[in-house]
Amino acid sequence: MKPDTPLISHLKRPLAFLLRLSLGGLFIYSGLSKIGQPYHFAAAIQAYQLLPEFFLGLTAAFIPWLETVGGLALVVGCKPRSALLLVMALLATFIILIGLTMARGLDIDCGCGLLADRQVGWRVLAEDAILLLMAAWLYATLLPRSSVA
Amino acid sequence: MSQNAVRQDLLWAVILGVLVLILSLTWHWSLVQQGFKGQLLTRLQEMEEQEAARRLEGVMTLNLEQTYGLHQEGKALFVDARSPREFQELHIEGAVNLIAEQLAGKTLPAFLQDIAPDRLIVVYCGTVDCHASLKVAELLQGRGFTRVAVFMGGFRVWDEAGYPVDITP
Repeated sequence: MKPDTPLISHLKRPLAFLLRLSLGGLFIYSGLSKIGQPYHFAAAIQAYQLLPEFFLGLTAAFIPWLETVGGLALVVGCKPRSALLLVMALLATFIILIGLTMARGLDIDCGCGLLADRQVGWRVLAEDAILLLMAAWLYATLLPRSSVA
Repeated sequence: MSQNAVRQDLLWAVILGVLVLILSLTWHWSLVQQGFKGQLLTRLQEMEEQEAARRLEGVMTLNLEQTYGLHQEGKALFVDARSPREFQELHIEGAVNLIAEQLAGKTLPAFLQDIAPDRLIVVYCGTVDCHASLKVAELLQGRGFTRVAVFMGGFRVWDEAGYPVDITP
């Protein structure tokens, strides 16, 4: 890999910090909004018609906490690269689910938790893809190796 | 990137995931349990019906003939609360498409900005069971429209009656 120029090297740390806070904050907000309304989130998952009832409650309980804890870890800088892996796994899952839902022609609320009543579609798919790229870039390039325990 | 670092990151990610699982099971045990026992779908259905009943309380409802009468008069604005895809396939003649998502932002969709607040608006969705029309009606009322009614039968009933439909947006 080519060594960075001094300017890029100088900008990396504040950029990484900002990106980490933004991603973390976004996931905390998204997670907390779902934790407060677990049954609504369960209904949103049910609308995708992919999970059997047995796993519905478990998934509706697990995902919001994963978002919140992953976001918190990013914000406070505790195992941030591991948190980024969790966040990337979540985003990749969301992208696959949204893609499948679009392919099946279902017009449903995405249940994203950020804004009310957003339909599954290209916009949501693109947002998740951008977030995934940001997280991957942050993981691969910006986080200092010294942060690993 | 060293493989060791990635391996360590993955290990901590798994540990974090297990901790989150324990936390979520503890926090939302009743929800999880209802899923395990096969009671969750019933609970969700009940919640949806309660929500629909709450929305129904504050809104005027119309049957097929009343709706047809208003359509013939040509004074009411017909709003189709189904998805844009369904709307484009077929809708009540003269209707405009409006989904709840469009009313979530601060600014109203352009076509609503020119509508007088006291104009009669008739909202419908697909069937008797769909609740999108009630949701849109509630949001329209929240935006200051004073005469909002819901055609409860929905598009299917209208179409089956052979009343005017259109494919153009």
